[in-house]
Amino acid sequence: MSEKIKLFDISKCTGCRGCQLACKQWNQLEAKQTRHTGTYQNPPDLQANTYLLMRFQEMADAKGGVKWFFRHQACMHCTDAACVKVCPSGALYYTTFKTVGLNPSKCIACKECIAACPFDIPRYDDKTDKIYKCDMCESRLSNNLGPACAKACPTGALIWGDKDTLLKLAYKRAKELGDGAYVYGDKYVDGTHLVYVLQEKASVYAALPKSPSVPLSIVLWKDVLKPLSLLAAGGVLAGSFLHYIIHGPKTPDDDSVTKTEGGE
Amino acid sequence: MKKGLIQATDWYERLVHWMLALSCLALCFTGLAMMFHSFNFIANIMGGLVVTKYVHNFTGLLFCLALLLALKMWWHEAGVFSMPEDLEWIKVAGGYLWHVDKVPEVGKYNPGQKMFFLAVAIFGAIMVVTGLVMWFPLSFPSWLVRWMFTLHALGFVVIFAFFFVHLYLGTIGSPGSAPAMFSGWVTRAWLKKQHPKWLKEMEEEGTLVVSGEEKGSH
Amino acid sequence: MTNHWVDFRNSDVILIMGSNPASNHPVSFKWIQEAIDKRGARLLCVDPRFTQSAAKAHVYAPLRSGTDIAFLGGMIKYILDNNLYFAEYVKLYTNASFLVNPALKLPGDNNGVFSGLEGSKYNKDTWSYQTGGDGVIKKDPSFQDPNCVFQLLKKHYSRYNPDVVSKICGTPKDKLLEIYKEYASTGKPDKAGVELYAMGWTQHTVGVQNIRTMCIIQLLLGNMGIAGGGVAAMRGESNVQGSTDHGLLFHIWPGYLGTPTASLKTLKEFNEKRTPTTKEKNSLNWWKNFPKYSASFLRSMYGKNVTLEEAYQLMPKLDDGANYSWLTIFDQMYKGKFTGFFAWGMNPACSGAHSNKVRQAMGKLDWMVNVNLFDNETGSFWRGPGMDPAKIKTEVFMLPCAASMEKEGSLANSSRLMQWRYKAVNPPGVALPDGDIMSEIYFKVKELYEKHGGPLKEALTKITWPYGKKTLDGHYHYDPHAVAKEINGFFLEDKKVEVPNKKGEFKEFKKGDPVPTFAWLQDDGSTSSGCWVYCGSYADKGNMAARRGTNDASGIGLYPEWAWTWPVNRRIIYNGASVDLNGKPWDPKRPVIAWTGDKWVGDVPDGAGDPGSGRPPFIMKPDGVASLFGPGLADGPFPEHYEPLECPVEKNLMSPQKNNPAIKRFDKPGVGSDMDVYSGVASCDPRFPFICSTYRVSEHWQTGVLTRWCPWLAEMQPGMFVEMSLELAKERNIKNGEKVIVKSPRGEVEAAAIVTPRFKPFNIDGNIVHEVGIPWHFGWITQARPKSKYGPVDKKPEVFTFGDAANLLTPTIGDANTMIPESKAFMVNVVKKGVI
Repeated sequence: MSEKIKLFDISKCTGCRGCQLACKQWNQLEAKQTRHTGTYQNPPDLQANTYLLMRFQEMADAKGGVKWFFRHQACMHCTDAACVKVCPSGALYYTTFKTVGLNPSKCIACKECIAACPFDIPRYDDKTDKIYKCDMCESRLSNNLGPACAKACPTGALIWGDKDTLLKLAYKRAKELGDGAYVYGDKYVDGTHLVYVLQEKASVYAALPKSPSVPLSIVLWKDVLKPLSLLAAGGVLAGSFLHYIIHGPKTPDDDSVTKTEGGE
Repeated sequence: MKKGLIQATDWYERLVHWMLALSCLALCFTGLAMMFHSFNFIANIMGGLVVTKYVHNFTGLLFCLALLLALKMWWHEAGVFSMPEDLEWIKVAGGYLWHVDKVPEVGKYNPGQKMFFLAVAIFGAIMVVTGLVMWFPLSFPSWLVRWMFTLHALGFVVIFAFFFVHLYLGTIGSPGSAPAMFSGWVTRAWLKKQHPKWLKEMEEEGTLVVSGEEKGSH
Repeated sequence: MTNHWVDFRNSDVILIMGSNPASNHPVSFKWIQEAIDKRGARLLCVDPRFTQSAAKAHVYAPLRSGTDIAFLGGMIKYILDNNLYFAEYVKLYTNASFLVNPALKLPGDNNGVFSGLEGSKYNKDTWSYQTGGDGVIKKDPSFQDPNCVFQLLKKHYSRYNPDVVSKICGTPKDKLLEIYKEYASTGKPDKAGVELYAMGWTQHTVGVQNIRTMCIIQLLLGNMGIAGGGVAAMRGESNVQGSTDHGLLFHIWPGYLGTPTASLKTLKEFNEKRTPTTKEKNSLNWWKNFPKYSASFLRSMYGKNVTLEEAYQLMPKLDDGANYSWLTIFDQMYKGKFTGFFAWGMNPACSGAHSNKVRQAMGKLDWMVNVNLFDNETGSFWRGPGMDPAKIKTEVFMLPCAASMEKEGSLANSSRLMQWRYKAVNPPGVALPDGDIMSEIYFKVKELYEKHGGPLKEALTKITWPYGKKTLDGHYHYDPHAVAKEINGFFLEDKKVEVPNKKGEFKEFKKGDPVPTFAWLQDDGSTSSGCWVYCGSYADKGNMAARRGTNDASGIGLYPEWAWTWPVNRRIIYNGASVDLNGKPWDPKRPVIAWTGDKWVGDVPDGAGDPGSGRPPFIMKPDGVASLFGPGLADGPFPEHYEPLECPVEKNLMSPQKNNPAIKRFDKPGVGSDMDVYSGVASCDPRFPFICSTYRVSEHWQTGVLTRWCPWLAEMQPGMFVEMSLELAKERNIKNGEKVIVKSPRGEVEAAAIVTPRFKPFNIDGNIVHEVGIPWHFGWITQARPKSKYGPVDKKPEVFTFGDAANLLTPTIGDANTMIPESKAFMVNVVKKGVI
């Protein structure tokens, strides 16, 4: 099967939130009481019951005009996923579609993924003591359907398809849009499976890292220290063995022979 | 009991030592179970990773307590170096690695042991602090939490390695040492070999307890 | 809509004004986006607020609510001044050349009103054409005569210069001109422009004239009847097109047949009154067929149980001159003129303008039947805020009904597309489809009439009701197919009928045969049809609405095999105007229809006779051409700018006449009630200094009766908010998210403030004027209440919403033609909660 990605073209998104709703519906996520805080964006952030959030953001421009953008925020499904790297239980895993699946029954709520994720995606739920995030509708993917959110999108802002085709499309679209439009995602973490076409600098968008990567601390931890711990322990054992057979143990002197042997 | 053995440790010292040692051991193995998918089987034996996580976390508290007690107890003896003899000892690596005609005489704890103690103290403290942050990661900024994981892993690298060093030197690497932490009684020969200065001090101060003899009667 | 949703993709310039499709018609953006991507279409948005649609537009221009005619009048002037109109189209297909009665005075010469104003009504004698001795309208195809429509149009809109318009609308002049320039570019034969409107244009005292102004622009630019053109009325409810087609409103029978008035004593008189005539020799004047449609409708009501004349006598009549629209109904109810009321699929306690009056009015009833999916603010009005249940005598019955997915049937969307829908699940509990409920009631009422008699008893007892049978459970279950077949129509007797358009050729029908199309309907009572425009929807080939064919030979997205469009499956009406006199499409790359030499290809041709026949294509107009000059409306043959009744300006900069002179004021003695109060009418009212407009969000629907109970939707939009500019918020010391009170002379609502750069203060003739906006989806019933306030069977929402109805603020004032309330421009005050 060819690799697939989800492409979000911000220039085509009208903020109707069909995707946010479709996500809740397919995943049967509970709704929580919210309140108006002075924005359409609600819930205010990703939550254990909200895998997908449309972020509404306003920006007054220099010419007295205003911009209003709607960004689809959900798991980016990194090819090199920090969360999978740190997950101790295998609850987070690479699916056959190279997306990042989540099996909550395996989750031990260590929350390591929450700290590790460069995109700040996983959310912890204390009622069930598990973490939750978008799994790109793995249940749908395995039945040859695209994710529910993309299915719901009326404008074509969110589409699901072959990685190569969609990336080509994304670059073509960015070029068409011009004015600094660019593709976000394919160059990071060995390529995300949610790729954006954006029109503003990444730093303009709330909750979007400028150049996301697997954090250095996690590379050190998982790629250096983790093997090192076994190596070091192994080294010590080997060293001790060599010490024992070469140098020999530090045996207490027999009082009677101390003087003649003169130390070891 | 065999006559002529010398008391090296009292029950309290041994209790604290084993509290620290066993909790550390438990932490190492439960930690391993969570760190490597290939060691997940350890968790399975314990009833799953969630149980393992809780065992690890609460054992961590025990470890923390043991560490505090150990620090309080051993700081004066093992936490400070006495110069210049400790330096001399270090220069020759206590005679462990190459032939040394005369190993400088050191007290109850040789600088190697002191260094081990300090390593345990420092990295143990790191493990406790980072562990606590990792236990409640949502209460801290994630950049901090990330480095806590790294430091925790670093601590593990050191402690796990030292564990085996300690195991070797406490057993076959230095025969006669082990009883110090089991019965508390060691042979005079071992003491003379390992801690001649301490032996002398005790003899001079009359604090030497020898089995089969009245305390201080010698 | 004159065109259809998919057709947006054929547009070159799309003007969004009076609507916010990105929020309220999200799927429309599929086609808008396609036009932008594939054609390089330009998207323009004009709105008081920077909406989600504005966020997608290439050009956004703000305008003050209620000044659309000024804005568009300026565009007409721009088009005429710069010769950007499609001259041939205007000459051939509009009444631009018609000579008007020289006695007509335009508002510019007549203190802001047209000639003939008597009180608040126009005598339209001067709004007429000059005719020759043969009765044919005099014309000047050169457009030189000062009394020709073209010259009058030019004269009328010469007053709408950009400077004045900018002062009225608060739109910066450069933005104004930018929009004019872009939109007027569609006057070329190979360019198409479409306008998308909704309630933002209709809910004004000048609502109909707003749309008329755009129609004039579309005609000048040759945008009617072509692919990618038209005036798109985007319906706010999935089936509101269908319900209007089928006679929802008081003034029309199904199929837009004007309701009889009491003075029309016989069917003949009625037919004569309603059937237009013309002396224009080539004009087809389709409405000449009115008697066929009225006869067929009467037959669908009574069959052959009575004669046609008797059937006409049994039908209810309007009192001459009386108005039975929404505002009047509740005014009369408030005055105790009703004993009973069916609130069927409606929530007037929230949707009715001046909801406080509506809520009080319902307390004057003896009984009310609330037919809905959920209890709502209407059914529970007696225990709402400020109500004392002990003092309300109204007995309320709740009849739970099935939702759309719990029953089979059709709906007709904005594209006039009748689509069949299937039942997905059974209704819960004792809920029944509306048709079943109506059947139950009908048979019970009939039984009572038969037993006890009553005035005009036959009106009930003679009705045909072949829609379903009583089943073993003792209930009537209606059959939607039977209803659909009756709407289509059938022959009531064996009959040989001359084939339409083929003299001397006949076809034989048997009794019960479906009528193939409305061209076969008869005025002699031999055919029955429930709604003539739907004739052909369920004929020989069965249920056309159930079709799901995806062929599109046209290449312009007509999809003629997908369901069925009225009339006669025509996807773009007025398409006869999309071709020149030789039947050649104005734009060959975008043909709707085309003449191949012996036949038409493409869409079902509208009004197009054989090329060369000289038949003008707007066959629904008696004179066959589209009306730049439209004497049919109550408030003027040309749209003129008038201020909303409640407005922030002292005077109308266009003329001495401040408001639409033809509106019905409810604060006049003997008209409304003590509750009907306005502010800022005579002069600005400092107590209510801000303009307010109501609108919808994507997540909720209408008064929210369906959506507020849906936890996922309530979670996204949890309650009442008021959007305001940073400047206003600063002035009132209001911070984003804070609770504020929005107040009008009629009521107040609590709301969360959205302080946003998307609203900007207007510069109106040098004065700073603020506008705020509120959604109208909320109501107290889904608001969190103390436990004690819940009855034992009350449903408690999983997610509460906050706030009550926006219509608590809106005024009882309606459009001069339709009486639709002016909910889009009224005056309020906004204060931080707890300040006053």
